[in-house]
Amino acid sequence: MSNNVNITINGKTFQVPEGMNLIEAAELCGIHIPNLCYIKGMRGIGACRLCLVEIEGQKGPVIACTTKVKDGMVVKTETDEIRDIRKFVIDLIVSMHPLDCMTCTKAGVCRLQDYAYGFEIKESSFTRKRFGFSPDEANPFIKRDPDYCILCGRCVRICKAQDTNVLEFMGRGVGAKVTTAADRPLQESGCTFCGSCIDVCPVNAILEADRWRKGREWDYERVNSTCLLCGGACDIVVSTMDGRVMKINAGAPEASHERYICAYGRFGYDAIESHGRIRTPMLRIDGELREVSWEEALRHVAELLKKAGKDTGFITTGSILNEDALMFKNFASKVVKTKNIDSTVSLYGDRDTLLSPVAQIDEADLIITAGINPSQWTRALASIDAIIRKKVKGGAKLIVISSEDIPLSGIAHVKLTGNEVGFLKAITKALIDKGLSKDKALTKLTEDAQVTEAILKASELIEASKAPLILSSPSLYGAAANLSLIKGKAVSVSLEANAKGVILMGLVPSGLSIKDMAKGGLRVLYVVGDVPINMRPNVETLIYQGTYMTDLARSADVVLPVASYLETSGTIVDYLGRLKKVTKAIDTDMPSHRDVFRHIAKLMKAELKLPKEAEIKRLVKLPSKNKPSAFEKKEGMDIDARRFIESINAPIINNSRLLWLKEAGVMV
Amino acid sequence: MTEVKEKKVEDIKKEAESLKCPVQRSLYYIKEFLAGPMCGRCFPCEMGTYEAKIRLENLVEGNGTDEDIEALRRIMKYMLTASMCMKGKNTARFVLEWLGLEEFNAHTKGECPQMECRGLIRYRIIPELCIMCGECKKVCRFNAILGEERKPFQSGFLPFEIRQRRCTSCGECIKVCPTKAIILESKAVFEAMMVKR
Repeated sequence: MSNNVNITINGKTFQVPEGMNLIEAAELCGIHIPNLCYIKGMRGIGACRLCLVEIEGQKGPVIACTTKVKDGMVVKTETDEIRDIRKFVIDLIVSMHPLDCMTCTKAGVCRLQDYAYGFEIKESSFTRKRFGFSPDEANPFIKRDPDYCILCGRCVRICKAQDTNVLEFMGRGVGAKVTTAADRPLQESGCTFCGSCIDVCPVNAILEADRWRKGREWDYERVNSTCLLCGGACDIVVSTMDGRVMKINAGAPEASHERYICAYGRFGYDAIESHGRIRTPMLRIDGELREVSWEEALRHVAELLKKAGKDTGFITTGSILNEDALMFKNFASKVVKTKNIDSTVSLYGDRDTLLSPVAQIDEADLIITAGINPSQWTRALASIDAIIRKKVKGGAKLIVISSEDIPLSGIAHVKLTGNEVGFLKAITKALIDKGLSKDKALTKLTEDAQVTEAILKASELIEASKAPLILSSPSLYGAAANLSLIKGKAVSVSLEANAKGVILMGLVPSGLSIKDMAKGGLRVLYVVGDVPINMRPNVETLIYQGTYMTDLARSADVVLPVASYLETSGTIVDYLGRLKKVTKAIDTDMPSHRDVFRHIAKLMKAELKLPKEAEIKRLVKLPSKNKPSAFEKKEGMDIDARRFIESINAPIINNSRLLWLKEAGVMV
Repeated sequence: MTEVKEKKVEDIKKEAESLKCPVQRSLYYIKEFLAGPMCGRCFPCEMGTYEAKIRLENLVEGNGTDEDIEALRRIMKYMLTASMCMKGKNTARFVLEWLGLEEFNAHTKGECPQMECRGLIRYRIIPELCIMCGECKKVCRFNAILGEERKPFQSGFLPFEIRQRRCTSCGECIKVCPTKAIILESKAVFEAMMVKR
């Protein structure tokens, strides 16, 4: 995309992209420039002064974090003077930092420790300073201990970049403290407990509340995976020790706007070890669920399905993996031979409204939201809200199209509230009027649109933008896609992590839909995954195959336990259409969905092969282009995203520390 | 709210120069700097000046060592190159200028040549010159002067003396003494006297 330039660092010449930040450019070349306050992907503030380097032609040392590389730049990162200055700064910081590295949780990943080690600072040569701040330990998520704080301000900046604006400096200079407004505990200050501050804190000042004596970084094994708790499908890094999940961090690249996970993703893992897990297969015998062996349970299921055949219904969620979904589809259609297959995805979208071309969000310089209401505070697609807010703070433009005022419209450059389809139509017309398109079909479709001043302003933003990205709700996708025919890309935002994958794997209703099946009447209803249905539908037999003991599971006749999202591997297709890997982080005795299906199939004298990677890849084909379609809002796809996401995560919330949010009244 | 205009570092320097002792000047400057224009946006300056204040206080209190001066030199040297803005760099420049004076080094040997640093000077009443008028006792806000005004009808008397622990070296007593019986001398001399007695 951008040109490469030659720069010389410490006598060696490298090729790096033009205009790149010098710290990041040096990192590319394998040279570390010390820094404490720099956050990748954000503008440097030059507070710590550790990144001083010498650049030929400049008088004194300059800071690298605010320097962009130019062709022919000659940089020295390690001169005696620079080393002395760095040592001096670390020496000063160490003079006000506790020297208890032997019991400190952050030992091993503490930047201050690394630099003190590098400069051989056993203890500071300056006067020891102690301020005796009291830590904030009033919540089960984030512990703040200002005694360890080095005032780098990274947490404050990340909190502001996301627009959560909870953390702020109190006072200035030495003795200042990072805290909330009026020094209140986090839960009383509007904190969403996303924990982004944990990810950026270079020392022990902010970290997970339960980390004390739960192992240190070198004890952990790390696995890159994807969170499956909502449509955001964020990248995560799962740290495990002795087969237990110890913590989860955001996993997107450091410089990416997508580096964010919400409280669900970060702290919901408690549920895996909770009492809410289903641990053994169960059968309803004499009106009561009794634990039975796997063999007995599966034999029973095989019998049931053989008898019921076509009169069986299958329901699943949009968060099961592609591999499971494909196996499930084959099992239901080829082995059980029923057409009644559907997923919760049908509640808010279908093949036409969900499958949008692959898009990138990091590069977009204009975001248009249509009909979606992401919010970090309600944790409905929290990551999308955070990404949009970060992008807007970073200079991107935002147009919000919604039927009513939503929190996001507060930061929008153009806010269009009312008839969403009308707005999309009018913007399209305005763009055609500007001569950006000569498409006849579109011209005809938009004839009757009214172009107002706000619409004109929106169209100007689109005209000026290099890479606009439209994030639309499935119900508005058709109309939004028309806009993308002229410029940019349109993405249909799904509410569940693998909604698109589930459809691509063929889990679309050809018989009864999920709503029909939930009404009852079938002989056997087979529920796969923790489907958010609270009442047992009126069916002869209910089979529940899931991870947690939900109300529905309690009312089932057969209960089969399966591995949770951190205990199984596979792939998903996220809302942007990217194929993402989900990797098993911990071992479990529970089988995955696909194993269960394979065994039942065997008992039914049919063979099902585990899907191969190539097969999945072949099936994951998203349309590359859109066709003009009518400007209309699809009926029956409007559900309350917040309540839906809360209900699909209900087992996770109720079985983890997230329940505290409800009990403390922080989550409404 | 009325906006208080921030003091400029140059103005603080001017104010500081009304003091004669370079250590006093530096301390006054640093204190005013920390209270006013110090923005706290870069580490060398915010942390360096805070440390410098501690070191200067050591010197003023008479507990200063060569180490303190060495630390001050180091702080100011790196603040000069590494701090973000001119405020920090100028601060370093000013203090370095004062640090260069010989009078600064004297502080580690127990001397404040300008007789301004609290820990290094003592006020003393010369009994031979004291007429026991009690003027000094009246002006002393810290109740640091012991003694009884002489009255013709009394036989015994309590001589006037300064309680060093209470004395803050404000200098008010010197101004009112009619016979110039109160003098300022360096701590070293004072202590030598006390031993002799």
